[in-house]
Amino acid sequence: MPKCTINGKSIEVKPGTTIIQAFKEAGEEIAHYCWHPALSVAGVCRLCMVQIEGQPKLQIACNTVVADNMVITNKSEPVKDAVRWGMDFHLINHPLDCPICDQAGECGLQEQYMRYGQYDPEMAEPKQKKHKVIDLGPTVVLDSERCILCSRCVRFTEEVTKTNELGIFNRGDRSEIGTFHNKPLNNNYSYNTIDICPVGALTSKDFRFRQRVWYLKEARSICTGCSTGCNVNVYFNEEGTWRVKPVQNDKVNGYWMCDKGRDVYKFTNLPVRLTSGKTGSKDNWNLLEAGALAKDVGATIRAAARSGADKIALVITGQYSNEDYDALFQFFSVGLGVQNIYHWINNPEDMNGFDGLLFRGDRNPNTKGLVARLEKYGVKTKWLDLEDKIKAHDLTHIVIAGPENHSVFPDLETKLRLFDQVPNVVWLSAGKSVAVDGLTAVTTQIPMKTFIEKDGTYTNYAGLEQKVKRGTTIVAGALTLEEAVHLMSGEELDMNMRPLPPKYLKTNFLVHKGGPL
Amino acid sequence: MSYVVKRPSASSQWYLPAIFSGMGLTFKKMLRNLFVGDKMQTLNYPEEKYEYGPRFKGNHVLTVKKDGSVRCTACMLCATNCPAQCIKITAAEHNDPSVEKYPISYEIDILRCVFCGFCEEACPVDAIRMGPEWQSPALNGGTFNYDIQHLAYRGNLKGGIQSRVDDQERHKAGI
Ligand code: SF4
Ligand code: SF4
Ligand code: SF4
Ligand code: SF4
Ligand code: FES
Repeated sequence: MPKCTINGKSIEVKPGTTIIQAFKEAGEEIAHYCWHPALSVAGVCRLCMVQIEGQPKLQIACNTVVADNMVITNKSEPVKDAVRWGMDFHLINHPLDCPICDQAGECGLQEQYMRYGQYDPEMAEPKQKKHKVIDLGPTVVLDSERCILCSRCVRFTEEVTKTNELGIFNRGDRSEIGTFHNKPLNNNYSYNTIDICPVGALTSKDFRFRQRVWYLKEARSICTGCSTGCNVNVYFNEEGTWRVKPVQNDKVNGYWMCDKGRDVYKFTNLPVRLTSGKTGSKDNWNLLEAGALAKDVGATIRAAARSGADKIALVITGQYSNEDYDALFQFFSVGLGVQNIYHWINNPEDMNGFDGLLFRGDRNPNTKGLVARLEKYGVKTKWLDLEDKIKAHDLTHIVIAGPENHSVFPDLETKLRLFDQVPNVVWLSAGKSVAVDGLTAVTTQIPMKTFIEKDGTYTNYAGLEQKVKRGTTIVAGALTLEEAVHLMSGEELDMNMRPLPPKYLKTNFLVHKGGPL
Repeated sequence: MSYVVKRPSASSQWYLPAIFSGMGLTFKKMLRNLFVGDKMQTLNYPEEKYEYGPRFKGNHVLTVKKDGSVRCTACMLCATNCPAQCIKITAAEHNDPSVEKYPISYEIDILRCVFCGFCEEACPVDAIRMGPEWQSPALNGGTFNYDIQHLAYRGNLKGGIQSRVDDQERHKAGI
């Protein structure tokens, strides 16, 4: 095992480790654009310069393997100088249109310029003009002038998705990223190119110009788009959520997430949410507080259960957390003795689908957790039984823990038509739906919180349990399934259960920080 | 318990002379204002209005380009810099790729504005300025949320103020 010294810290690394990896292991900062831990080494940006004792010239850290007893630093003057003038080269043809660039605020160029640059540019020639606002495909927009030709995006399509849509065309300072004729960048992982682009050359069509990034706060969460459960950051502000980006987790998703998962923020926002409790039926709805409604409907269900629990059915989707399921089973199965518990599978055909990288056909975050609980409480029902029971008018009440994300339930309307034949329907869901508003049965709709608004544990396809913390609140009047079930069972809620984490309380950044005014 | 002690001195009983000298001054000014009007110290507002210098930082103006569209690129630096948080911008993609981003709505809540001028200071393209206009009255039903229509094209701007920064020249120079 070679030993080396990095900025004065001595560490031991595995043979074959490059210097930049050793820097990461030692927790030392190093500037870099083209190197990415999950991609091959290109060595084109020349920003990762380090000084190695005994070697006359500076070396690039990303393509130099650590040898025994190397003494490496990137804090010396020659290194800073090299990075500074490397920056100058990167910015020769850069348009510097940060004001309208979506990357501004999280841009590698801005960061390194503030850290190492801060020079007066010495370039007298006019800038090379390139193409702007190029449509690369359904998700990505390219601005060639901002591109620093680090080739990360090209290597991504070559090595990760193996679709090879992107390439570098032309030579010298006329080089540009581009796609081949009639082959747009159109794969299920295309948004990742935007994340790995260190500058604002690739921007997302979905997020473009909708917010400045410094207005957004981020909350660590998981993607609920499928059963892989990729780790993500959800970006939000007081108006709602705006985008999701992947977070590295080698056990689950590595560095990436798929494009389908990028849409999960959309069903958390106000326009598509059920914002208050509703009771009534088609064209005749009364609005009520969710909590009061849950108590009322709980009382009716408990009364109905006393006269026969077999007249009550419970339908569950794989969209809730393990805590939610525990509460639900505790109340219905143990408390009321309901036997008619059914698992609503939204896409039985491709339930076991997998695209080879991350995306799975099971578009629920917690099917595994639900199945485990169905087994634990000895539920062995089949969906067809439910259909038979409904057709035979055996049921008086049906409680549905409906989907959070309606868009992955193509069978929503057909299933609702089925449920509509039961006289009393209790519909628990985060999203509002015209189909539910059109039910003719006596219906109670209780608004639910989404994954970003509650704490919970989700079990992914491999059985890995992932804990998620609450990030923000979008519909204050909604309940978590756990809370709703507590209220239904006649208990009271402790409303101060989960105070907002203090880190999201707004700080006044204009406070004067010392010194005479 | 607190109480007030009155200690009238002999001189304080002689208040009439002070009253007469005060009234004298009042009448002197009144007669002067009546007969020598241009020496008057006050204005007959609202018939007469005071003109501040052109550099006075009053109500905002959004400058326009040669073709009359607003210069603002919707970068939101003014909104970020505004300590009163009274600027609200909604950006959108422009059909012309050389413009790229522009505001579909730009609103200043003038009642919250503290006229600090930070927005003007932050703007990278001279798109927002504070002009010499200092009154912001409105009749019943009037709004204090100034929109693009008001900020860029209100009547007294006569079709909009153009910035002296010439974009075409800048583009030719490769900036
Ligand atoms: S890529 Fe970075 S430096 Fe270039 S315009 Fe965008 S934010 Fe500015
Ligand atoms: S578009 Fe971005 S990721 Fe691709 S080469 Fe240019 S700078 Fe690198
Ligand atoms: S003058 Fe100051 S308070 Fe008023 S809009 Fe500009 S930045 Fe905001
Ligand atoms: S700083 Fe200038 S260009 Fe940017 S949004 Fe404000 S007025 Fe528009
Ligand atoms: S990170 Fe080493 S050359 Fe780019």
